Amino acid sequence: MPEIRNYTLNFGPQHPAAHGVLRLILEMDGEVIQRADPHIGLLHRATEKLAESKPYNQSIGYMDRLDYVSMMSNEHGYILALEKLLGVEVPERAQYIRVMFDEITRLLNHLLWIGAHGLDVGAMTMFLYAFREREDLMDVYEAVSGARLHATYYRPGGVARDLPDSMPQYKASKWHSQKEVSRLNDTRSGSLLDFIEDFTTRFPGYVDEYETLLTDNRIWKQRLVDIAIVSPERAMQLGFTGPMLRGSGIEWDLRRKQPYAVYDKLDFDIPVGTNGDSYDRYLVRMEEMRQSNHIIKQCVDWLRANPGIVMAADHKVTPPRREEMKGDMESLIHHFKLFTEGYCLPEGEAYGAVEHPKGEFGVYLVSDGANKPYRMKIRAPGFAHLSALDEMTRGHMLSDVVAVIGTQDIVFGEIDR
Amino acid sequence: MSDDQVTFTVDDVELSAPKGSMLIQATDKAGIHIPRFCYHDKLSVAANCRMCLVDVEKAPKPMPACATPIMEGMVVHTKSAKAVEAQKSVMEFLLINHPLDCPICDQGGECELQDLSVAYGGDKSQYTDIKRVVFDKDIGPLIQTELTRCIQCTRCVRFGEEIAGMRELGMTDRGDRAVIGTFIAKSVDSEMSGNVIDICPVGALTAKPSRFTGRAWEMQQHAAVSPHDSVGSNLYIHTLDGKVNRVVPRANESINEVWISDRDRFSYQGLYSDDRATRPMIKLKGEWVETDWNTALQYAIDGLQLVIKENSVNELACWISPNATLEEHYLTQKLIRGLGSNNIDHRLRQTDFTDQSFAPVMPWIGKDIESIERLEAILLVGSHVRKEQPLIAHRFRKAFRHHQVKISAVNPRKFKWRFKTSHELISSAEGMVENLAGIAKAVGADQANVSALISAASVDEGHKAIAEELTTAGEAATIFMGNIAAQHPQFSVLRALSHAIAKQTGATLAYLPEAANTAGAWLAGSVPHRFAGGSKANSTGANISEMLASPKKALITFNIEPEFDVANPAQAMDAMDAADFKIVINNYATEAMKEYADVILPLSAFSETSGTYVNAEGFWQSFKGAVSPLGESRPGWKIIRVLANLMKVDGFDYMSSEDVRNEVKEQCRELQLDNSISVDAPIANISKTDGLQRVGDVSLYSVDSLVRRSTPLQLTKDADHNHAAINSTLAAKLKLEDGDRVSITQSGHCELTDIRIDNALADDCVWLPAAEELSVQMGTTYSPIELEKA
Amino acid sequence: MSMRTVKHYIKSFLFLELIQGMMVTGKYLFKRKITLQYPEQKTPISPRFRGLHAQRRYANGEERCIACKLCEAVCPALAITIDVEERDDGTRRTSKYDIDLFKCIYCGFCEEACPVDAIVETDVFEYHFENRGENIMTKDKLLAVGDKYEDSIAANRAADAPYR
Repeated sequence: MPEIRNYTLNFGPQHPAAHGVLRLILEMDGEVIQRADPHIGLLHRATEKLAESKPYNQSIGYMDRLDYVSMMSNEHGYILALEKLLGVEVPERAQYIRVMFDEITRLLNHLLWIGAHGLDVGAMTMFLYAFREREDLMDVYEAVSGARLHATYYRPGGVARDLPDSMPQYKASKWHSQKEVSRLNDTRSGSLLDFIEDFTTRFPGYVDEYETLLTDNRIWKQRLVDIAIVSPERAMQLGFTGPMLRGSGIEWDLRRKQPYAVYDKLDFDIPVGTNGDSYDRYLVRMEEMRQSNHIIKQCVDWLRANPGIVMAADHKVTPPRREEMKGDMESLIHHFKLFTEGYCLPEGEAYGAVEHPKGEFGVYLVSDGANKPYRMKIRAPGFAHLSALDEMTRGHMLSDVVAVIGTQDIVFGEIDR
Repeated sequence: MSDDQVTFTVDDVELSAPKGSMLIQATDKAGIHIPRFCYHDKLSVAANCRMCLVDVEKAPKPMPACATPIMEGMVVHTKSAKAVEAQKSVMEFLLINHPLDCPICDQGGECELQDLSVAYGGDKSQYTDIKRVVFDKDIGPLIQTELTRCIQCTRCVRFGEEIAGMRELGMTDRGDRAVIGTFIAKSVDSEMSGNVIDICPVGALTAKPSRFTGRAWEMQQHAAVSPHDSVGSNLYIHTLDGKVNRVVPRANESINEVWISDRDRFSYQGLYSDDRATRPMIKLKGEWVETDWNTALQYAIDGLQLVIKENSVNELACWISPNATLEEHYLTQKLIRGLGSNNIDHRLRQTDFTDQSFAPVMPWIGKDIESIERLEAILLVGSHVRKEQPLIAHRFRKAFRHHQVKISAVNPRKFKWRFKTSHELISSAEGMVENLAGIAKAVGADQANVSALISAASVDEGHKAIAEELTTAGEAATIFMGNIAAQHPQFSVLRALSHAIAKQTGATLAYLPEAANTAGAWLAGSVPHRFAGGSKANSTGANISEMLASPKKALITFNIEPEFDVANPAQAMDAMDAADFKIVINNYATEAMKEYADVILPLSAFSETSGTYVNAEGFWQSFKGAVSPLGESRPGWKIIRVLANLMKVDGFDYMSSEDVRNEVKEQCRELQLDNSISVDAPIANISKTDGLQRVGDVSLYSVDSLVRRSTPLQLTKDADHNHAAINSTLAAKLKLEDGDRVSITQSGHCELTDIRIDNALADDCVWLPAAEELSVQMGTTYSPIELEKA
Repeated sequence: MSMRTVKHYIKSFLFLELIQGMMVTGKYLFKRKITLQYPEQKTPISPRFRGLHAQRRYANGEERCIACKLCEAVCPALAITIDVEERDDGTRRTSKYDIDLFKCIYCGFCEEACPVDAIVETDVFEYHFENRGENIMTKDKLLAVGDKYEDSIAANRAADAPYR
């Protein structure tokens, strides 16, 4: 009798459900996964090595491109490490702005995740709805930084510029009358904060709609419930962080456990799951969106009441204002030196970590006292999660692989770096 | 601890330093940095920038570290609130009148003002009024001024007074109207003037040739060694996009300290001249065609072998530049000798070879360069050291400023020195011999080969005075034989006499080697009578003089332009015409070369090759190429290696220039350097010139093909040689006035030029330097010449 | 059988959750569209937008750039290449100013670094290349973009000036 051998299946890297450039070698027994071997590195850009050759500030833009759906959160991790070594004091307003954008980023990330996850599992509509909301949030990104995705907005000592007092508006055309345009511009008539506040009042309703579409949906539940169960102990052993860990019932959130910026002054809850399956992780992320919305609201209120500077006034680290640079010798010299040589970090090492939408995102910096890092290491949450893919998919069906990739919220920019 | 050491505390660190030294000197040595603008290690203390204010306990006010002598038990804080506040305030004052020029200033990025402002200054100015403006001055082709940027540190002024020995720059007016300017002369003409670019802490003085070419941060730095004079100044070549962008000094206390001459600094401007050879070329039926290396090398070999076959291998000759590297010299002579000829010479400007077989293994100064500063008496024999080896002259000047060293000279012209000379005996070529013989007689010297000369000499007051100086100084005296001596028609006589004087007085006999690698060329065996390491050759080949007198049939020239680089240009060109086959290995492909050559092989310049130079103190300095060879040019050692391989000469399996150097080093391992010469060495006959004699040297900016092509250097006053000079006695005799047109005839060639009256010259001498446009078709210096009013 | 289980069976049997979901989607069938007719219509663009690069001139037509190379130095992607020369009137100018748009990461640092507001990122985002080499924005091309969009460039800088 001929020996029955497992069948090997290549999944990706050009597969629409592979979330970028994931290449899985699946060992199948019929339709059941025996072994899943993720191959990574197809999006490797040597960000860590690249950073060693550039003055510190020049790497900020490359942080955006790690997890390219949670841009500012990545920046925050890097900036935190820098500021730890620099010892520069960040104005409180800048910290609130950072927290607000961290949470906006979390919404952006989770919206993309729910869209893609839904699409992978078969819920097409989610994608359209999620991207509708993302559009507003990307307008917010654009309004502060000038870029809809790769913001390069956080700087050591604060953020690049203050929030604008007005939003760009639609213009009338032969397609939209002035009346229609003014309806479109309704939310854009005030400042950026007004625009964000308007969004936060609308957003919980949108989340309700998503839940109506998904939470009780039988197909959705059939695809997620009891899929890829990870026990709390195992989740910790595997180095899970973020919703992946909380989905397994462990209440661990850096915003609470190691508060950075102004998270200790804000009110929010940490949702946790009970079963540790994909469905719980879905529920955790949905609740996180509501909590983020709540945090954003608090930030908007605070920011509205507390105008002030958004960048430390220490021009040994932060560039002077343009007006000063053009008329003041000291400012010009500091501007010149900052934009060519940058600043030097004191000798030492620092680890800055943030609660990134996907988990703990950390940057470990070693400085030898120069204007460039001696070494930089990025702790990407997705890497630990992807490492558990084999364990999570083993014994499941082929179609569940897609659901597991979705529940892990894999983005290759951070894993391959 | 000895009595002259003082113990004190800086920033809680206990230090000790010699009594009387300034605080900043002690802290610099201890690695404690105190900011400064006006203080410079090599210059006197001015204490006018006040940037180095530090907090000295028990002193009511902050004290300038550069002008505060250390005292026993002194407690100093360089980073206390008082010191920091003082430094910050000084910085703010310095910036009040500084223009907002950083973006357009060449110094931006390597500016001490910027660095210290970021490190010690505030980040915001309180000054809002109008800043002052100072109009720029054009101070010559080398240095660009932007005097509004000046912070009046006076480093450049002190450099002029103390180092260059020319009070060229000075400060006028006071307070915020103080400006730096030139005194009477409108340009800065010191041969070391470029150093003010380095010492200027701001962008007020920058290099004109490399103005607006690149930023400090985009250039790459490569260590190099000067290819021009025998000091072997250490350089950094800064390259930008694979091209040499500028040259700056590399500090080496024992050689060039922190300075370099303008020649070393700006000669790179000749690297990319239009006539740079970038592709091998061969002459086919009178037409020059560019070709590939294989074809060119094969053509060269075929030509050589044909001539050798038709005549004899003795018809093969090689003239090689004394600026070539040790490796190039060694391989070239190895190739020539491997083929069976000994006709190789690098002593292109020398005319007297009578005592060559008795010459020392290599000409050198007999001691290290640094020790020159400790001499007590110096006799210059035929040396214009200030322009020939500017940094040796700088050591003379240091010795003079320190302890008024007695410097005398036996020269054909009373040169302008940057130190005081006690006696200068100025005469024609024969007169130099007579003067030296007079000194020898005055010191009571006697030596077999010159005894007749000495006994016949008449002794005058000058001879006696110089003799007295040398005798008094004894071992602390040195007799330097310079380039003029080496080019003198009775070099052997000068050498024998100098040796006799040195022996009698206990002085050292020193040679100032002519070119960057004259010493290395001797060691490598680039002479017809010796192998590498100084051992006697199997048979003595023809020296350059003989090769000129009886031209050879096949000729290889290595990086020389015979019309400029050979003692007798007219004869050299005739020898060229007489040869059947000529291979030119050169950095440049000139029109003249295209006239006489058969093959032109493009050679990499000093910045593009690796190699070794041996300097005047016998120090071997190896360097690597800073940029890759231009076009298809190749490093000399590789060209010779391939030539030898193709001609099937054994022993050319080198993988790197280091292999070659190690082989030479092995052959020089047991070498004992000694400048003395046998008392039995033959000496040249002394020929009297009737009528007028041409005298002259080789000008600073004409010594080699690279400097001759450096446009900024050629625009300086030092490069202005388009005239002849005579003294007023001769002018009166010939009824000439300053500026008259005259015709000069030598070796049957006549040139028209202006005459200048200069009483620095002796009677019946006509000053006409070699290696100038005016003299390229004439004969040797120190030979008869005709002069009449045109 | 508990009440809960009974309810669950009834709900499942009646497709309640599916009907609720379809009501959500059905509601949007009658709502106003939120889409725009691109390219005739465009979404509003922030004055801070970082799009295609341009070089500006002063009102008298003189190019602003003084070849200080700050943008070249600060560019993280090494997309900018500048050659400097002394112009005949003695001023410092670029003889070459190239931006490789394939390398550029649109971080906006060049604009932040520029001491004379010469290099700017406009709000132009619709551009394309048809041939190799067109990704290199030469000085002439950059100045042409600047000339063409100077009004909007100036207006955007003015709007954002209080924040910089």
